[in-house]
Parts: sequence; structure tokens; C-alpha cells
Amino acid sequence: MDFLLQLIPHLVNGVSLGLLFALIALGFMLIVGVMETINLAHGSLFALGMYFALFLIAPQLGVFPNLQAWYMSLPLGTRYLVALILAPILVGIFGMLLELCMRRTYGRDPLYGLLLTFGAALVIEEVIRLVWGSSEKQLMLPEVISGAFLMGDLVYSKYRFFASGFAILMIVLLWVFLQKTPYGAIIKAGAHESEMVRALGINLSRLRLFVFGLGVALAAIAGVVMAPIWGIRPHVGVDAVVPAFLIIVLGGVGSLWGAVIAGLMVGMVVGLTGSYASEWSLMSMYLLFIAVVTFRSRGLFGKKSVLDQ
Amino acid sequence: MSDINNNDTGPQFPANEKLDAAATSRRALLKHSSLALVGAGLYGAAPFMGPWKHNHAWAQTGQKKPLTVGLTMDASGLYAASGAEERLGAMMAIKEFNDKGGVLGRRIEAIHIDTETTPATGSRVAERMITRNEASFLIGAVHSGVSNAISQVAQKYGTVFLNTNSSSPTEAGKDCHRTKFVWDGNGTNFSNAIVKNAIKASGKNWVLLTNDYVWGHTTSKATRAIVEANGGKIVEELLVPQNTRDFSSYLLKLQQLKPNVVATAVGGDDIKALRQQVVQLKMNQSMAWINNQQDWPDVYGLGPEAIFGVFGTTWYWRLGLPGVKEFVAAYQKQFPGMAIRVPGNVYHNGYMATRELLRCVEEAGTTNNIAVIKKLEGRKMSAADRLQHYDAWMDPVTHQCQQTIYMATYNDQPAEKDDIFKILTQADPKDVMDKDATGACKLESYDATPSYEV
Repeated sequence: MDFLLQLIPHLVNGVSLGLLFALIALGFMLIVGVMETINLAHGSLFALGMYFALFLIAPQLGVFPNLQAWYMSLPLGTRYLVALILAPILVGIFGMLLELCMRRTYGRDPLYGLLLTFGAALVIEEVIRLVWGSSEKQLMLPEVISGAFLMGDLVYSKYRFFASGFAILMIVLLWVFLQKTPYGAIIKAGAHESEMVRALGINLSRLRLFVFGLGVALAAIAGVVMAPIWGIRPHVGVDAVVPAFLIIVLGGVGSLWGAVIAGLMVGMVVGLTGSYASEWSLMSMYLLFIAVVTFRSRGLFGKKSVLDQ
Repeated sequence: MSDINNNDTGPQFPANEKLDAAATSRRALLKHSSLALVGAGLYGAAPFMGPWKHNHAWAQTGQKKPLTVGLTMDASGLYAASGAEERLGAMMAIKEFNDKGGVLGRRIEAIHIDTETTPATGSRVAERMITRNEASFLIGAVHSGVSNAISQVAQKYGTVFLNTNSSSPTEAGKDCHRTKFVWDGNGTNFSNAIVKNAIKASGKNWVLLTNDYVWGHTTSKATRAIVEANGGKIVEELLVPQNTRDFSSYLLKLQQLKPNVVATAVGGDDIKALRQQVVQLKMNQSMAWINNQQDWPDVYGLGPEAIFGVFGTTWYWRLGLPGVKEFVAAYQKQFPGMAIRVPGNVYHNGYMATRELLRCVEEAGTTNNIAVIKKLEGRKMSAADRLQHYDAWMDPVTHQCQQTIYMATYNDQPAEKDDIFKILTQADPKDVMDKDATGACKLESYDATPSYEV
């Protein structure tokens, strides 16, 4: 009984961790699923979201001192909200520019796309280093979501609960968008029958541009949400891109719920091993991955290929 | 010879920064020499490989060719921030010598290649610097695995290597080498300085939070031995894989274990993330925290609330000692606009190690590695010269610099912006020596160490 009581907080923590992993993987999943492009810059764009949020919460322009003073006089909660909305939009626009560069790689060996996004990742990281420096940064949080609260005799982070709730919100919004709106239907159709979509008069290039921008904006949202947990440093993106890639393959490429469930599984496994066999905590996600892919090569919710039928 | 050099299509290294090109290719010379030897050996006229003592000799000092120093610092990975700082320290010492005309009348040129906080890269970089770039000396390491990898290559060629900031006890213990000199305090030194007092002040039940690699393991092992020897108890040891970013499960476990003290041997970006998450849960107030060694770049910019607990260091920029202010001012003048505005222990170690090496070369009057090694072994360095409280010396048995160990905590009454440490006390190096290292370290003999002069 004692063991079960002790286990409960770790299960709750595992779910919370899993939701955050799923949030990190959402944008990656969208781009891979719809565009069949592995965006290796996902991690760097995730980091860029953190830095844009940092700027939007406490801008240091060096010009327009009055405007800056007025902005800084706004409550921290307002500035945090501005960062949470604007940072992903700005990174999304940046992502769209990246997509324009990627167009020459479409229809060619996938290696071209990989190389381009890998190069972009390096450039983004170095630009971050040049603009913000390489030292650690911290994102200020409004009082209402910072600090801790007691549950029994255990202390929990308020922010972690906020972040988990926000991850649920984002997952639901993305699901509603993809399933319940005509835009979502076009995106899904574009993923499966791009030629048919084009034949129906839909501008496929614009669709890809939008999807890439949305995927990148989701990466930036994950970055803003994870910033207070992981800290902000130029190479933080590497910590995001590896689990994101693992989760979408584990869940099945292109499956929203696959990514969510895989994220939860990874979070649970990492959380529990962290508590009971800590030296296995990072490796556990890879062991889970090997175990699943060995028996189900297309991932949990991946569609059957022609060869499987 | 230059053609061979230019046509070389060997592996290229990213993020290289070649600060100066070497004038002659030692690799090409070695290639030609070995071909000649092989040819001669086939005809029975000479052995295939003679002793390095003869093959690896250079007699070009008369040409006053520049002295090449290889900087093997991390520019990426877990210890990128510390790697950048120790590099600045080494560059500062080199600059000071060059301003005086170099060493032995030769200008010092530094090449830097990123060792990526990865042992395999460290080996590759060391091999390349020695065989291609003709580096006379190698300087720089934060990660113990990387340092160990570099030192094995350095020993193979007889190249003097300064481990500037890696503090695993094994570095001057079982992994010591005749050519390697360790300049940082090690985990045992810090544990000796901190643990006894912490048991008295905070309690006997301890949990160890250990980075899962050689430095973490050896440091926690030293802490465990001292805790148990002083009547304390290790309730549990939690291993933290490198690059862990989420510590929530560890922190929950700690809350359930309710120890009096948590002793961490966690470094680099991992400790930054851990500190932030501990503060979020306000666990910095519910149990005592000890971080064996706290490198300056790992806490700089974290904010006052994230610098909690008691930790060890080897230097602080506001020590009230003569010369410290000038040392800080020189850093700020040489490196204006740096994100880290004042130097810390990592920079200090990088600077002091490089300066002492170059002094030894000058005193030896030669770049012969054995002569330089003999100058470094047992070398006495005054407290005033090193800007510390106690005299330091290079232990001739283990090749570790025995230096003052400071215990510090967060400064809640800072005199200025970057005054974030409060130095609690300082330990005489004699009192905190790692006694096990003497038995564990078996240095290679001089004869077994390849000799060279460049």
C-alpha cells in the first residue's frame, strides 16, 4: 500500500512530462506527416521561440526608451501573454521563409531537405549566439504560475501544471483544427493525395507554406512553454529534436494521437525510471522505442504500407 | 612538402578556429621519415621503428619558428560555456607572453579545435594537433572523459598536456600520465573541505545526486567515504545521466526520502537545469544542498535565487587579495563586452596553467618535453602569484596542482551586480589533499615517455 501511495506522484509526474514531450513533438509531427520532410531545424526553432519570448518579456532595444519604459510598466502577466502569442507567430513567419528556401528540394532526394534543414539549424543556433550570447538565460514568470504548492506532504511546481494544461489545450486545438475545419481537411487531403488536391484548384504551394509555418509555430510554442523548465541556452534545441523525432516514429508518422500517446508513454517511462532506476532514465525512452518498433515497425498508429497489406 | 600539406584530404573538423598557421608540416616530415625507415628496414639496414627519442627530434629552434600551442577546449556540448572561459584564460596568458616577445624568443601561436565535450572527438583533435598542426603542448579540458582521452594520445607522443579544469579524482589518480598535469581541485579535495562541516551543521542522512560519468562517480565515491567516516549515512545515490533536462522525478524522490543533505556531483548544463527546477519547487529551503564544485560559467546569469547551498570553488573574483582587482581589470580590458563580465575559477585555472607552462619552458631554456615536465613537477607557486590564500605546488607524484579550496554560498548582500558568491572559508591544500591519488597514480617513467623538441 505504501508503495502504491509513493507511486502516485510519480505517475502524475510521468503524465505531466508526457504531455510536455507530446507538445514538443506536435510541430515536428505536422511537418513530417503532411510534407514528408524531416525538419532538423525543429530544435533550433524551438530555441528561437524561447529567445523571442525572452525578448518580448523584457525587451532591450536601445532605441525608443519611452516606448520600452511603457511596455515594461505593463504587468508581467500581460507581457508573458504577449510572448506566448507573438513569439510563435514571429517564429512561424521565419519558418515560412525557410519553407520558401526548401522548395527547390521538393521532389528530389530527401537528403537535400535534410541537409538544408540541418544547415538552417546550425545557422539559427549561431545567430542566437551572436544576438543573445552563449550564457544561460531565464524567462521571468508571472507570480500566479510560478512557485510551488503542497499536495499532502509533497511539493509540486505550479508552472509544471500550467504547462501540462497548456499542452492539453494545444493538442485539443490542433485536433479540432485538423478534424473539424475545412482547412484541416485540405491539409489532410494534401498529405495523402496532393495531386488530387492540386487538381481541385487548391494552391498546394501555399498549403505547404502554411503547414510549415504552423509546424514551426508549434515548435516555438513548445519552446516558450519549456523555457522555464529547461532553461534557455543556444544549443537547447538538441534536447528537443531527439525526443520529438523518437516520439513521432514511435506514435506512427503523421498521427496526431500517435504522437500524443507516444509522448505520454515516453514521459511515463522516463519519469518512473528517473524515480526507481535513475541511471536508466534517459536510455529508457530508446529501449521503449526499440521494443515498439521491433514488433510494429510503422509505430503505434502508423498506417499500413502497401507491403504490409 | 607544402604540396603534401595542401593536397591533404583528411577528415575536416567543424568549428575549427585556426589562429595561426604553422610554418612547417611535422606530419609530412614524419611521413617521409617513416617511408625512409620502412624502405631501409626492408633492406635490413635499419629497424622499422626506432625509439621516438631519435625519430621525433626537431632541430629547428635556431629558425625561431613559432611555438604552436593546441587549445583543446569544448566549444559545444555540456561544457561549452566553461570551455569558452578556460580558452580565454589560456589566450590571455599567451598574449602576455607574446607582448613580451614570446617564449625563448619565439612567438606563441594558438590553434583551437572544438572537442565537443566528447571523448572520441578529444582523441581525434589531440591526434590532429600533434601530428598535423605540430602543437608542442596541449591545453584545456573540463570533461573528465575528454581529458582522459586527450591525455592518452598526448602520452603516446610525449606531448605535455594541461588538464585545466577537469576535476575527477581519477585524472591525477589511476588515469595519471607523465605528460599530463591537472590544474583544478578534484572531487576529493572539495569533499574533504566541505563534508565534515556539513554533517555537523545539517545532519547525517545524505542523498547523493551523481552525474553518470567518471567525474560524477569518482566525486560521489569520495563524498560517500568521507560522509561514512564521519558517522553520516548515504540514504540513496541517484544517478543522473548526462544531458538530463528534467529533474522532476529526482526531486519527487528526494521529497519522499527526506534527507538532511543532498550532495550533488552534477555539472555543466545539467546543474543549471537542476538548480532552476529545485528553486521552482522551493526545495532549496527544505533541505541542505551541497554542490561539490561550482564552476563560475554554470551559475553566472542564473539569478540570485538559483544559487543556493554550499559549494566549492578554487577562486573568486572578489577575493580581498592584492592583485585580484588588476587581474579582473585585465580580463575586462582584453575581453570587453563579454556575456560573463568578470572572470571565474575556470578562467583562472586556464590562465594560471598556461602561464606556468610557458614560464617552465622559459626557465628550462628549451621546448624539450622532458625538461619542461621536470620543471613542472614539484613546482612551487606562491599564494600571491596565484592570487589565492595559500601557496600551491604541483604534486610530483600525481601531477595535480595542490591549491586553496574555497567554500562558498550565495551572497545575499552583494556589493555589486556580479558579486554573487559569499566565500565562507578557505582550506589549506595540505588539509584537503587526495591521499588515495598517491597510491593510484603510476606515472610512466621518463624513458617510457617519447621525447621531442620543437
